[in-house]
Amino acid sequence: MRWSILLALTWAAGTLLAQSSAQYLPLTPDGKGDLSGGWVVRDSTNLPDDLPYRPEALKLWQERKADLAKDDPATYCLPNGVVRVTSLPYKIVQTPKLIVILSEGNTHSFRRIFLDGRAHNLDLEPNSWTGDSIGKWEGTTLVVDTIGFNDRTWLDDTGKPHSDQLHVIERYRRPDAGRLEVQYTIEDPKDLTRPYTFTRAFVPANREIQERFCTEQNHLVGK
Amino acid sequence: MKKNYLGWAISLAAASLLLSLARTPATAQDQIKVTGKIVPPGAAAPKALPPAGPKGPVPHMADGKPDLSGIWNGQRALPNQEPPVMLPWAEKLTAERTNNYSADDPEARCLPGGVPRAAPYHYQLVQTPKLLLMLFEGNIHSYRQMFLDRSEHLKITEPLWYGESIGSWDGDTLVVDTVGFNDKFWFDMAGHPHTTQLHVMERYHRRDFGNLDIGITIVDPGTYSKPWVIQRVSTLETGIEMSEYVCNENNSDVLHLVGK
Repeated sequence: MRWSILLALTWAAGTLLAQSSAQYLPLTPDGKGDLSGGWVVRDSTNLPDDLPYRPEALKLWQERKADLAKDDPATYCLPNGVVRVTSLPYKIVQTPKLIVILSEGNTHSFRRIFLDGRAHNLDLEPNSWTGDSIGKWEGTTLVVDTIGFNDRTWLDDTGKPHSDQLHVIERYRRPDAGRLEVQYTIEDPKDLTRPYTFTRAFVPANREIQERFCTEQNHLVGK
Repeated sequence: MKKNYLGWAISLAAASLLLSLARTPATAQDQIKVTGKIVPPGAAAPKALPPAGPKGPVPHMADGKPDLSGIWNGQRALPNQEPPVMLPWAEKLTAERTNNYSADDPEARCLPGGVPRAAPYHYQLVQTPKLLLMLFEGNIHSYRQMFLDRSEHLKITEPLWYGESIGSWDGDTLVVDTVGFNDKFWFDMAGHPHTTQLHVMERYHRRDFGNLDIGITIVDPGTYSKPWVIQRVSTLETGIEMSEYVCNENNSDVLHLVGK
């Protein structure tokens, strides 16, 4: 009798422990990290200011800062690309072969990350705003490789430039239930002297993404 | 990338108008009649069934539901369908919009096409047990979310371009119910209007691997005196990926949207 009570208690404790550790490492049924849900950037949306720019790119960034970002593509309802984020929510929809990131703003659009094992293919879009993204799982971390960018997006609101040689590697992981961490490595041999790495934390958005069309409120486009 | 189907369509419409005018010297009154005969490409009644998509079995999700996921070619209306029965104001407005070469079409100004407007571009369906996503290549590169995990509509505080969509399964058919619309978008290039009373029901049935049947019922007592029923089909695109269509990048359509 005593033994059976002890056994039952051990079983109950084990179940609780398993549940709490599951909360710490959210996983999909097939054992990958579960990235799905609504997310907002926790800290600044801007990148650190110590990017190892080559002189030409540094000059361009300084010009953009000096003219108060008057040519900001976001002002014209153009896409933010992959590195630049807004403080509005993003929503990740995860399936085994495809991950879709929905953005509320700046453009109410989407980005697709292909997990079906395909190689990069730039035939259709050699230079696009969001590039060509392929991903693979390293354990519970999603590694996304993106190339095929144009040189028109800004890396953040301050106008940090990049060239069409931009290559972005993102590592998505869930350190715990309340956080999504993305480590970005930016390579750009034309604009940077060496690869640059920084990390950005996202926290749950706690609301559904809303409809928001830049063009509707913007007097500079579509008229 | 920016394609300019609309520009071509308008040039074609303008060319056919010029041709008919050349044949028949017209008074202003006649001109309206002549232009009234020009069916804008968006409203053109199809003469034949679109070619069928690839054959094969319907894929299924782990939960046994049909999997609608895939890249689909723009929805095309089946031939010989009943035209809508409009209230007088809507009939008048549609004629005005058509005769003004669709110059005020919000879609051509990079605003959403709304529901259930069909575009000539691809769209991708991404299905999870709780959500069906519709990703549009164009006219604007945006998306619609159809929630499969609740049976009640959320309370809408601000009218929406794509509305508030919930879906449930009726056998192998996904039934999507959408309300909460604004009255800004047009149903097609002809300019068929609607009010905020709009209620759209869509029935998505993947007939086989490559063919998606879409039955649409438009209910809007403020605009149409009876429900407008439309049958469409989409075929699976197996050859090419969806491109990144950025309407605001180079909207050359705007230059053509001069009206009369």
